[in-house]
Amino acid sequence: MVLQADDLWKTYGDRSVVRGVSFSLAAGEVLGFLGANGAGKTTTVGMLYGAVIPSRGQVTVDGFNVRSQGRRARQIMGVVTQEDNLDPDFSVFDNLRYFASFYGITGRAAQQRASELLEQVGLGDYARHRVDQLSGGLKRRLVLARALINRPRLVFLDEPTTGLDPDARQDFWRLVTQLKQAGCGVLLTTHYMDEAQRLCDRLLLLQKGQVINSGTPLDLIHSTIGEEVIEVDGMQEEQLQPLLTQFQTWGRLVGVHYLIAVPPKRGDELWEYLSDRHPAGLSRRRANLEDVFLRLTGHSLDEN
Amino acid sequence: MKTDFTPFTPTQNPPSQAPLTPWGVYAAWQRNARVYQATWLVNSLPPLSEPLIYLVAFGYGLTPLVGEISYYGTTVDYLRFLAPGMMGIGVLFQSYSEGAYASYLRLDYQKTWHAILTTPLTFSEVFTGELLWAATKGMIAALATGLLAILWGLMSITTLVLSIPLLLLGSVAFAGAGLLTAGLVRTIDQINVPIYLLIVPMFTLCGTYFPRETLPSPLLEVAGLLPLSLLVDLLRWPLGLPDHLPWALLGLLGWAIASIFLAWRTIYPRLFR
Repeated sequence: MVLQADDLWKTYGDRSVVRGVSFSLAAGEVLGFLGANGAGKTTTVGMLYGAVIPSRGQVTVDGFNVRSQGRRARQIMGVVTQEDNLDPDFSVFDNLRYFASFYGITGRAAQQRASELLEQVGLGDYARHRVDQLSGGLKRRLVLARALINRPRLVFLDEPTTGLDPDARQDFWRLVTQLKQAGCGVLLTTHYMDEAQRLCDRLLLLQKGQVINSGTPLDLIHSTIGEEVIEVDGMQEEQLQPLLTQFQTWGRLVGVHYLIAVPPKRGDELWEYLSDRHPAGLSRRRANLEDVFLRLTGHSLDEN
Repeated sequence: MKTDFTPFTPTQNPPSQAPLTPWGVYAAWQRNARVYQATWLVNSLPPLSEPLIYLVAFGYGLTPLVGEISYYGTTVDYLRFLAPGMMGIGVLFQSYSEGAYASYLRLDYQKTWHAILTTPLTFSEVFTGELLWAATKGMIAALATGLLAILWGLMSITTLVLSIPLLLLGSVAFAGAGLLTAGLVRTIDQINVPIYLLIVPMFTLCGTYFPRETLPSPLLEVAGLLPLSLLVDLLRWPLGLPDHLPWALLGLLGWAIASIFLAWRTIYPRLFR
């Protein structure tokens, strides 16, 4: 295992923000931390790479303890933090070249590596630009390139696509897929369902600092919700609640509509029953991670 | 095509686990030196122009009025008295402002410290690299002033060379005070508080422009304990050797140790929660 976290706790005063998180990550695997804001994702990731000191528990990276053997652990990891901490005092190229020196990569080797990475992330034409001349998407690419300067075996991506436009997100996803294919372990935190579903081999769902469920995206969807959901508008909760009991399924009011998990054996029967009542809106779609999250936590990922 | 993302195999020569290595300190120091180097022409202006302006202004402006000064039983030309004071001021301003303003920006705005701490460098190395870089800025200013004083005929080369350890101690002390400020303040405007409560009073009252003996008590005693007074007294060793000089050396060392220790204690919790 390239990353192993055992019983991680973080307490500030009498408030525990991370409570007993344990998991492992293999080489070539993308593991996603999915949770609403304040669920403890960033604090947990901080403990994994050493920026947050755990109140209890330990983390090992390729067998090296992140606290007691931090230098060796950080030698083989790359970190993309939530905030852009690129060096505004240097050009795009020098951001990579000089960052390489912190890994003992200097001179021609550093220049070559910086050039390679800029090409790889599509920033070859921006080498001489100042960092503040880059768009948000290009900056995120540069942060990723910088995190790869040491050819890490493990990469932390903490909400790497927040604030990016759809095209930039797609580009970023392509790079993450390449990392995975190259055998790099990737830990991704996100509150974008499509990102988690598209990129992650496995997901940990966090709520209030605890892992409330884990598995592959499809497993989580199927085991928690099923194949499909129905969205109903314009019917009273009092009318729908008895239905849930009758069809032995789960449902919940979400905003203006009611969301109902389609029971595997009596799905068509439920659909016909609802259609016959001619509600203002009725639709049926495939279940997704947002539905999983709603069922497990009682609120949407977008709710703070 | 073989991708460039292929991870490295574990290194044959694992890095040292010691929290403070010369390589790590140098790497952190070098980051700032590279920024300085890129704009060296602009950067070399303040340490050269500032003392030159003061020496010219005071040299031509005050020397005819002041003439000579009595310093611990020795009569010296005013400019020969002023030159070590100017070196001390160069150390104070450059080391302190680099530690306070520039390090604060790298700590709080640019998050440069945070970025470097994701690499194999340790907190001790980044902190020491920053401290030594701020001290380097003070040394550059002091040596530039010293060279001007030598060219002016106010100081010998030997005096300047022998003063280097004292300048280094002063630079480290003020760099530590600067980093302590960076660790304490929460907004950049707050740096004005120590500037106006400590730095400007030191600049004017610590015997840089005139002998402190003319100050009334207890201002005299208080000013005498401030680190700039201690540094300037030490730097005037060729002009006079007052009895308190060994205490001045110990005092400056104490200021340096205390400021570095407290800076360490204030910055660490801002990086590691």
